[in-house]
Parts: sequence; C-alpha cells; structure tokens
Amino acid sequence: MPHDTHDHDHDHDPLEQGAALRVRALEELMVAKGLVDPAAMDAIVEYYETETGPRNGAAVVARAWSDPDFKEWLLRDGSAAIASMGFTGFQGEYMRVVENTDTVHNIVVCTLCSCYPWPVLGLPPTWYKSPAYRARTVREPRVVLSEFGVELPKEMRVQVWDSTAEIRYLVLPQRPSDTEGETPEALAARVTRNGMIGTARV
Amino acid sequence: MDSIHDMGGMQGFGPVPVDAEEVFAHDWQKRAFALTETLGWAVPYGSDEHRQEIERLAPAEYLNRDYFEKWALAAAALARGAGLVSADEVVTGRKSFDVDLAAHPRVSAADLLAASRAGAEMTFPDHPAEPCFAMGDTVRVMVHGPDGHTRAPRYLRGRLGRIERHLGAFQFADALAAGRGPDPQHCYTVIFDAAELWGQGSDTLCADLWEPYLEHP
Repeated sequence: MPHDTHDHDHDHDPLEQGAALRVRALEELMVAKGLVDPAAMDAIVEYYETETGPRNGAAVVARAWSDPDFKEWLLRDGSAAIASMGFTGFQGEYMRVVENTDTVHNIVVCTLCSCYPWPVLGLPPTWYKSPAYRARTVREPRVVLSEFGVELPKEMRVQVWDSTAEIRYLVLPQRPSDTEGETPEALAARVTRNGMIGTARV
Repeated sequence: MDSIHDMGGMQGFGPVPVDAEEVFAHDWQKRAFALTETLGWAVPYGSDEHRQEIERLAPAEYLNRDYFEKWALAAAALARGAGLVSADEVVTGRKSFDVDLAAHPRVSAADLLAASRAGAEMTFPDHPAEPCFAMGDTVRVMVHGPDGHTRAPRYLRGRLGRIERHLGAFQFADALAAGRGPDPQHCYTVIFDAAELWGQGSDTLCADLWEPYLEHP
C-alpha cells in the first residue's frame, strides 16, 4: 500500500483541527442551553473587526501631531482626550498615552496575558500574544526591537510598559520630519499599528 | 499563582514571530472570542475570573493550546463552575439538562454592543482609605506570591522601584478572581531600573501595581 496518504494532510494541523472542533461543540452546547445568542456572537465579532482597529489610534496620533492643545490634553488625560473622539469601550477605559522623544522610546507589553487597548488598536496581533514577545520584551527590549528592524542609539532610553493592571497604553510616535503641512488624514496614513505599540518607528 | 502564564523575563522562547500580524488566523477563533464575550453575561464572570481559569491550565497545556481555544475552554470551565453545564456536556457538546435562564439570562446583541462601546467602571473615586505611598517613594514589591490570581509578576517580586504615578483606587484583580471583589485598592505606576531587575542595562520599565503588592523597603 503506497504511503501517500499523509500528503493529503500536510496542510492540516491536528491540534488546530481539534481546537476548531472543540470550540464548535462548546458553541453548540451553549446555544442549545440558551446561555448565548448566536446573533450576539456575530455582532461582537463584527464590532471589533469594523469599529475598532489601528485606524482609530492613527486618528488620535494624527490629531496630536496637528493640534498642540489636543496633544497636551492627550498626554495629561489620555482617557478623556481619546473618549472625546468617540473611541471608548472595554479595554480602553483608562488610557495613558506615552510620547516618544529624541531621548526616550516607549514599548508596550503584557507579560501576564495580552492586555491591549482595544478601542484604539482593535484586538492584538498574534505576535503580541506570543510567549517570546511577552517573556523577552521586559528583559531585552532592544533585542526584541531589533527583531522588528528597529535599532536605537545607545543614548536613547527604552521605556517598557508592562500592562499589569487596568491602564492601557498607546505610544505617541514622533512626527516624521518630512510631513510639514500635511492634513491630519494624510498624517494618519503614516501611523502604523506597531508604531503605536512601540515595535516600530514611524 | 506562579505558573507558566507569568512569562516576563523567561528565556528559551526563541524569536518573536514578527510576521504573525493577524488577529484571527481561523474563523473558529472568532467564534471562541465571541463565545467568551457573550457567555460572560449569563454565567456571569469578568476578566479576572476568566484570566484565572486560563492560568489554572497545566503549563504544558497552556503552551500547546491555541490562544483562543484557551479562552473558550476557560469560559466553559466558568459555566461549569456555576453549575450551568456538566463535564459530560462539555466533552460531548450535547445538552443533557435545562438551566434556570431567568437567573442566567443570555445577553442580546444590542446590550452586548452597548456595553462593549461604553466600557466598564473600575475606579472608586470616593474610596475612603488614604494612599500609603506618594510620588517618588521607593517601594519594594512583595516577595510572597499568592496562590490564586494575582497581577504582581514574578520578575518584579522583591525588587525596588519608585512610585511614578498614583492612579487612584481600582477594583482589585486578586479579590475579584477569588469572589471577594471589588475590594478597591489604590493602584500605582511603579518605575524600575533595568539594572535592579536584570543586573545590567540602563533602560527602565513601568508596571501598574496595587497597593497590597507594595511595601516600604
């Protein structure tokens, strides 16, 4: 008997398939029990996929780059300034915005789970939740940054923020020098998700 | 609880998967996320109880299972803990008994969206206790690691830091997970020097720590 049957399974990870089946069984059970409404499940996924995400954070950053009064408010009371733009909700109730400068680079992590500012950045990317990122960012942030392609001068201090309680952090990158006169919309297009976590320079 | 979830400072995990930019790699992960978000209303449970269930997984299981599968398994464990599903039902996925839905109402899409957009209130501005620490105070993080859920990471235990900011009184994660919440406690941003944590380096690290985690050195 030819041993070619494995070829059909090359793209299937048995662990992943098992997880998919277990999750489906749990959903069916909880729906049958009347404990969850499938429509609410659909709605909440759509909400996080369409109404939250890095473009919200980018709008905040672009406004701070364009409006010194807003920037001052944002750094002093991130929760209120961000809420004023309509970006509120779970995992974004208590926001602190930390500013990159010529002498300080900020980077955000959650070593204990995966805390992340959902209203302004959406749900976190896989790398943010990875054991390697969670374990190493607090201990060797410069090595982690170099894996993202970021090399910082020695004299620049790296400030790590471990999200261990209810505060969620957003990095305010430095405004690129070649953007004078750009509209907030054009500026927002420059801002990346990683730039607002601190794993990229903008 | 000093288990595998408390990863700060551990070595041996290899490079960061920097190209894994996606939020969900599979549709079933969306369902697992949504199941966790919705079931929390009927059981009910909050974030700290849910985190605690994930932390109770054996280390090998924690590392091997998918992130979102762990979310769904923890949600199911909380439903089981509340007596709403049996172990057998969780294994088979088939319902074998009815529950009192008046006592455990499911959340509607409209209510879930409204709550998710509004966020939760976790502070206690009128908390009567005076904060024990002030800006600039040197503090030591407790050495003792509680058996249950806690948000004082292992890599900070016993280390000296300085109060960088007083955040106000917040619901206390340890108490909430143990069913003794909200037990408000003052919370602080504490700044640590890399040399104090790792014996070398000139960078700095901040963590947010509740008052019961801190002591005067």
